[in-house]
Amino acid sequence: MKKIVDFFLSLKLTVVLLSLSMVLVFAGTLAQVDKGIWTVVDQYFRCLIAWIDLPVFFPRSWDVPDIRLPFPGGFLIGWLLTINLVMVHWASFKVQVNGGRRIAGLVVLALGVLVTLGVMFGWGTAPVAATEDDAFWRVFLRLGRGTLAAVIFYIACVLLYRKRAGMVLLHGGILFLMVGEFLTAMYAVEATMTIKEGETVNYIDHSQQLEIAFTDKSNPDHDSVTVLPQRLLQVGDVISSDGLPFDVKVHDYFVNSTRPQPLDSIPAGIRSGYPQYEGYGSRLYVGEQPEVSGATGARNAPAVDIELFDRESGASLGRYILSIWMYPNFVNRAWDMPTRIKLVDHEYEVYFRFRREYLTSPSGSPYSIKLLDFVHEKYEGTQMPKDFASQIMLVNEGDDVDRELRIWMNNPLRYARRTFYQSGYLPDDGGTVLQVVRNDSWMIPYLSCMIVFVGMAAQFVQSLRRSQRSNG
Amino acid sequence: MKKHISTIIVVLFAVWFFQSGVKPPKETATDFQINAFAHLPVKYEGRTKPMDTLARNVLTVLSDKQSVRTADGEKVSASKWLLDNISGRPEAMNYKVFRIESLDVLSSLGLEEVKRFRYSYADVAPNIGKLDAASRAAYAKSEKQRDLYDKQVIKTANKFYLYQNIMSAFEDPSSIQQEQLMAVAQRYMRLEGFSIPLVIPPNSGNEKWRPLMSTLLANHPAMQSMGHIGEPDPTAVAYGVMLAAYREGNVALFNNSLMEFGGLVMADNPEVFRKLSFECFYNRLGAFMKSAQLYLLVFLLSCFGWMTRKPGPIKAGLTLMICAFIPHTFAIIARVFLSGYPPVTNLYSSAIFIGWAAVGAGIILELVYRKADGMGNLVGSIAGFVTLLIAHFLAGDGDTMAMMRAVLDTRFWLATHVITVTLGYMATFVAGTIGIFYIFAGLFSRRLDTETNENMYRMMYGTTCFALLLSFVGTVLGGLWADDSWGRFWGWDPKENGALLIVIWNAIMLHARYGKMVANRGFAVLAVAGNIVTAWSWFGVNQLSVGLHSYGFTSSATFWLLVFVCSQLLVIFAGLVPLRLWKSRPVQ
Repeated sequence: MKKIVDFFLSLKLTVVLLSLSMVLVFAGTLAQVDKGIWTVVDQYFRCLIAWIDLPVFFPRSWDVPDIRLPFPGGFLIGWLLTINLVMVHWASFKVQVNGGRRIAGLVVLALGVLVTLGVMFGWGTAPVAATEDDAFWRVFLRLGRGTLAAVIFYIACVLLYRKRAGMVLLHGGILFLMVGEFLTAMYAVEATMTIKEGETVNYIDHSQQLEIAFTDKSNPDHDSVTVLPQRLLQVGDVISSDGLPFDVKVHDYFVNSTRPQPLDSIPAGIRSGYPQYEGYGSRLYVGEQPEVSGATGARNAPAVDIELFDRESGASLGRYILSIWMYPNFVNRAWDMPTRIKLVDHEYEVYFRFRREYLTSPSGSPYSIKLLDFVHEKYEGTQMPKDFASQIMLVNEGDDVDRELRIWMNNPLRYARRTFYQSGYLPDDGGTVLQVVRNDSWMIPYLSCMIVFVGMAAQFVQSLRRSQRSNG
Repeated sequence: MKKHISTIIVVLFAVWFFQSGVKPPKETATDFQINAFAHLPVKYEGRTKPMDTLARNVLTVLSDKQSVRTADGEKVSASKWLLDNISGRPEAMNYKVFRIESLDVLSSLGLEEVKRFRYSYADVAPNIGKLDAASRAAYAKSEKQRDLYDKQVIKTANKFYLYQNIMSAFEDPSSIQQEQLMAVAQRYMRLEGFSIPLVIPPNSGNEKWRPLMSTLLANHPAMQSMGHIGEPDPTAVAYGVMLAAYREGNVALFNNSLMEFGGLVMADNPEVFRKLSFECFYNRLGAFMKSAQLYLLVFLLSCFGWMTRKPGPIKAGLTLMICAFIPHTFAIIARVFLSGYPPVTNLYSSAIFIGWAAVGAGIILELVYRKADGMGNLVGSIAGFVTLLIAHFLAGDGDTMAMMRAVLDTRFWLATHVITVTLGYMATFVAGTIGIFYIFAGLFSRRLDTETNENMYRMMYGTTCFALLLSFVGTVLGGLWADDSWGRFWGWDPKENGALLIVIWNAIMLHARYGKMVANRGFAVLAVAGNIVTAWSWFGVNQLSVGLHSYGFTSSATFWLLVFVCSQLLVIFAGLVPLRLWKSRPVQ
């Protein structure tokens, strides 16, 4: 036991772990030359054991065998560093004061925690936070709130740890930062929102998840939608849903597929093996292709091959290929290709699409965003973009919100625990694409940045003065 | 008194050194007023600048120089060169300004290898069709498939495309026959889709900047007779007459129409002349190159002073370094004023800023730390010299004060994150440079006595603390920018990772020291390794994203980065040589 404790108490371990993390970060950076950023993040950083591809360290023109080496992953190094940090502080930074000073220190510490939590959960911010002017004040105020928390913690540390206050504070800040990043890795959700000019949209697309949506168009008063989420779409499975009068068999699932092409442009050899589809599949070819890799910015285009069966007779109602290429938000609204399925008494419109989530505020009332105008400014005499901006109308009847706002580059809207960022635009500047992020720990970096800064600055000023004194 | 005399001599020398070339050459009333022409406004790549800047930038892209020499060895200013070209003077074709280094490209153009690799348009003209065809073929390939030759062809052809586009923007279409008019108009429409110099400023008749050729085309009698175009634009007419007069060698007419043009613009839109003459002054001052030369001198002086332990040269070096630092500072402030952006916006400006901060750090070290002993001089001057030299080579891409793309265009983050992280780079380099001196002084000389050993360690330690603080805060601020701009504090993006590596490296150094894993010498070796980490973050990361799929040695930046890394590795190995082989035997 003592050996284990000593192991974790050693600064040598810190240096070794930091060195390992450098190798990992370096490899993870080089790997991005060939692989998409999310693949790299999962393969190198958000895992216990990373698998480093040997060729990343060499010029790509060299013929290096494609060997994967196991290496401590980001989570493993992070956990070990955390244990190391906590143990070292536990052992060598004991609280050295007693009595009133100790109590005062603990009280200030509790106050610091309170302020931190307050800052994290929106103390001092407006419910609808869009920028009216420069980013300057907004960020400054956030850092200011972080500094307030940091200073309170510093006072607590001075009371409790005297001369070692800065050291303890800065490492506490690092720990807090790591915790924040871990929470973000686990819980942050990124989605997008595509809106045409003049259109009102009340949902977001979760671009990492997919679903098949069957919309029953047969009732003239309302449409009813039945959704099959991605986790059900296992190849070979037959899915029975209460909302659908038929069963759905999943013949095949492509993580990435080709853009649909006219069937007659495909070589006969490939065409002969192509299943007999109804709908678009009878005219268009959709084939499987390898996952996109590389920092090319390309996206995977999944597709699913399904067949419908009558629940009573078991007779086939037709086989369909559904591709994300047919979903308008995937192609920036360039086209809209719903697969129409006509049965005896029902008519369905079917999309294979990103998981759709309807927007609601924390109070549970739904809200929507209307795009009034999209502005794409260029520098005069060039094609270089100067500014993208979306003029929007945010409406939430339940919470009595009805406001015209502007979202533009570097100036997002924060509302209902989500943040809406200007991210892209539709062809001919006809609409906007917003990035929508839900991350409840987003204030942690602001806080920990200032905590570390205050701690480090105090520590360095102290050692500087000490060395000056010893000089003089 | 004697002390003051040497200071005064050094200061006078610096003043004399900086003033050379600042005053424009004398022009009498009977000469072409080329200096006045250089002050005319032009909007190019989104920024309003004087013709002087346009001329220097284009010339730099084509030939890596800011002036030309004629066959007789006469020096021609960039502005005169540009004027000769856009007005269509016959001798313009013979300026040797196109730098073509690739022997393969040269042989395909039927050219002999010449000294300095510079060729005139006339040299290349007979085979320019071949070059165009080869570059189109290279473009047709995907980036991965292009070989070295393809890249060289593209690089060379781009110079000619740039040149031709700029020349076309100043064409005079007034003598074109009516039947060709439509074709020409279409060609001009296409050209306006590219980035070309716009010289006719907005006025009461038109709210946009326009290129000369289209405005003159609109003035064409045949176009006028079509009826749907307004009055001839007098500013464009004056500009056109000015160029024609220059072509014909008519001094009086050139000067008159130049003044007329200036007067018209001044009357209608005086705003466009703002900052232009200041920018011309900034160009002529050329502060960075001159400061670099002085820094080198400071370095040599201080080396001598430090090795021989003579305070005189060190003191003179410090004075000279401060003298060179003032124009360096001034030029950075001038760039902020001219561009309207904070000092660091691209690689070029990061280099001059790192140099500036390193020199500043050297001066502070020297003035504040009594036992610095010239080490501040040495580090500041060599860092200043090297970074300004790097900046000089980075300037070849054109305007160093280019406008920022929408995503990056936020002055707040540029001013906070970029400055802090750049200062972090600087501090790491300063510690690393002291490390190099430590190793060299210890290994090859007896200069590293016990006291020097301790002092140098303290300087390294102090700068490393600063480096950690600055690079940490700078990196986190970068994350906050990302969070504020697209909701992702940390995205493992290559540039972020590069900055993170510096933070971790500085942390490793300090922990290794606290854990007594290294002593002074080990710390110096680690500091030198910090140079590699920083250089990779500064340049290597950009090579990844620019070249994306190729690690080839085609790009000179990659090559020099590798050279630098190897040199630092050599220093590290030197530092690891057993102490008994060291000439100095410091007691640790």
